Amino acid sequence: MSTYTYKRSQELFERACSVIPCGIPGHMSPAVNVPPASYPIYAAKAKGACFWDVDGNEFIDYMCAYGPMILGYGNEVVDDAARLQYALADTTMCPSPKMVELAEFLVDLVEGMEWAFFAKNGADVTNYAVMVARCATGREKVVGIKGGYHGSSAWMQGLAHHGVTPADASNVLRIPWNDVGAFEDLVAEHSHNIAAFIATPNHVATFYDNELPEEGYWTKIEAICRREGIVLILDDIRHGFRLNMKGSHVHYGFTPDLICFCKALANGYPISSLMGTDALKNAASRVFHTGSYWYQAAPMAAALACLKELKRLDAPQWMQAQGEKLFSQMGELASSHGYTLKVTGEPVMANVRLADDPSFMLHQIWCGECTRRGAFIASHHNLFISMAHDEAILEKTLAICDEAFAALKGYQERGEVVC
Amino acid sequence: MDYQKIKASLNLHAVLRNLSTLVACDEKAREIIKNWDLSLGFKIFNGPSLFLVFKDGACRAGEGAMEKPDIRLFFLSASHFNAMMEGRAVPIILKGFSHLHFLRRRFPKLTDRLAHFLKPQAFHFEDAEFRRINTQLNLSVAMRAVCELATQDAMGRCNASAIPEGTLAIQVLPKGPVVGLSKKGDALEVADVKPEEASAILRFRDVDVACDLVNGRCDAFAALTRGDIAMRGRIPMIEAVNLMMDRIPHYLN
Repeated sequence: MSTYTYKRSQELFERACSVIPCGIPGHMSPAVNVPPASYPIYAAKAKGACFWDVDGNEFIDYMCAYGPMILGYGNEVVDDAARLQYALADTTMCPSPKMVELAEFLVDLVEGMEWAFFAKNGADVTNYAVMVARCATGREKVVGIKGGYHGSSAWMQGLAHHGVTPADASNVLRIPWNDVGAFEDLVAEHSHNIAAFIATPNHVATFYDNELPEEGYWTKIEAICRREGIVLILDDIRHGFRLNMKGSHVHYGFTPDLICFCKALANGYPISSLMGTDALKNAASRVFHTGSYWYQAAPMAAALACLKELKRLDAPQWMQAQGEKLFSQMGELASSHGYTLKVTGEPVMANVRLADDPSFMLHQIWCGECTRRGAFIASHHNLFISMAHDEAILEKTLAICDEAFAALKGYQERGEVVC
Repeated sequence: MDYQKIKASLNLHAVLRNLSTLVACDEKAREIIKNWDLSLGFKIFNGPSLFLVFKDGACRAGEGAMEKPDIRLFFLSASHFNAMMEGRAVPIILKGFSHLHFLRRRFPKLTDRLAHFLKPQAFHFEDAEFRRINTQLNLSVAMRAVCELATQDAMGRCNASAIPEGTLAIQVLPKGPVVGLSKKGDALEVADVKPEEASAILRFRDVDVACDLVNGRCDAFAALTRGDIAMRGRIPMIEAVNLMMDRIPHYLN
């Protein structure tokens, strides 16, 4: 297998640095792909489970654009729905009937939720969820999980991150994942001033193994919220429609008050949604939260088509099975080369890590070797399985991983591992 | 904690303490101190203390009080000490009146030399030797400052708590310097870390890249993508330390 080079990507990046902060800012920054020289920087086209960079290199995408891609890039069903809608009207003075259709479909689909609100990005709806909770309860504090990510708004980033002030962070209290006792302690300390508890269905902190909820965790959290009048917000932005079409809360057996969706909602078309129970609809209607493009019709049409297709294909079950197959075989390959691959989280969006090196450097090298052979795997983030990761894709992936393990072994044996 | 107290702690343990680094890497500084054979103790009332020993053409720095320094300088408050560092106040001499000439005329030559590197003008960066020493000093100051912020500054404590256990090496290729930190339990300390043994490495392609970064003259993310700066290993360690380093200018210009 030949390995890729990225000349055109790097040339484009140099141009970008002159006119864009960081060259590529935010979560798409190539700086976190370690080592950067092993990774492409710009995509030219995409189809199915793959994308091609501007140097013509083909990649099986295991990041799925960090989640939005779920049916495959360029899925005809979704794209046709969007095209049809674009031809009619997209951003206009009045919203489209698609907004009503999508809200009705979501209310029917997602268990326990009785209304839906639409925006563009995940942070739009996590922000809205917190405002709704504060409006409904009259309280200030929000409890979140250490390492939990709910968008880049100042209040949700860690204290001392650039641009974040103590005032921004003062109303967010962080506790460890799976620690119900810590939540009880906070409740006792901030009696009657906690508006909301927000968390992802399982813990997916970057640079760390994923952690599933312990037995009874969510039912205990829910019970505390009910007892104390705290709004339970499920951030289903990353997981949504990958674990269960009715919502990830059904997968783990609890009922939130508000659920945030984004990413896979429309297979990459820009739309997010906050859904909630009837008890919070009045509060939601009183909170003013809006955006110029939040009524865009084409992403709504795309979302409808995407959700119907996912439901038709029983997507979560299929993707979980693909993930189980892929990661168990990947682990066997690792063992055959003398490595230990630790797989954590749910198979449909697992985190993988070479456990042989506590510094992560070997894992970073291996991920880079996979990527420059055509399986894009980031070392710092959970992976994603989509409906496009079929048997042929898995087979090709495993061949790449096998060669990457062999390459890593060779580097170590020759003393060439330069971390 | 009080702004002036944190600033004084940084001025004492990160800036003044690095006179030892200055002497080690700057020929002119060694020339200044070549005949010095004495010790100074700095003490802030109800606050930290530091000593400097000049002997045999070298400077050794240490935290805490020295038993019998030749010169003992006292500061009524953290603000007093900070003002002295900014040239707006003088210390109270508790011991060493016979060294008045040294304190007024000779010691300031060394501290002025430190200020020359730590408070540069734009044109100074045109000189390669300046860049080398400026980079070494800034990295050394930064490591000590980060350890102070980890315990004294609210944001620093927050970031420090996110640093996983292990060691971080910050290395300038091809020939150094290398500075390091070690996190064990809650304690963050400056440490002598070999890059090949570190849990995390932040590596600069050369002195020029390092100099640009420590002086706020480069886009770090762009430099990382280009490979001018490389991160390896436990990235959360690098991220947290980087945030703490960016906190330093809040106290020290």
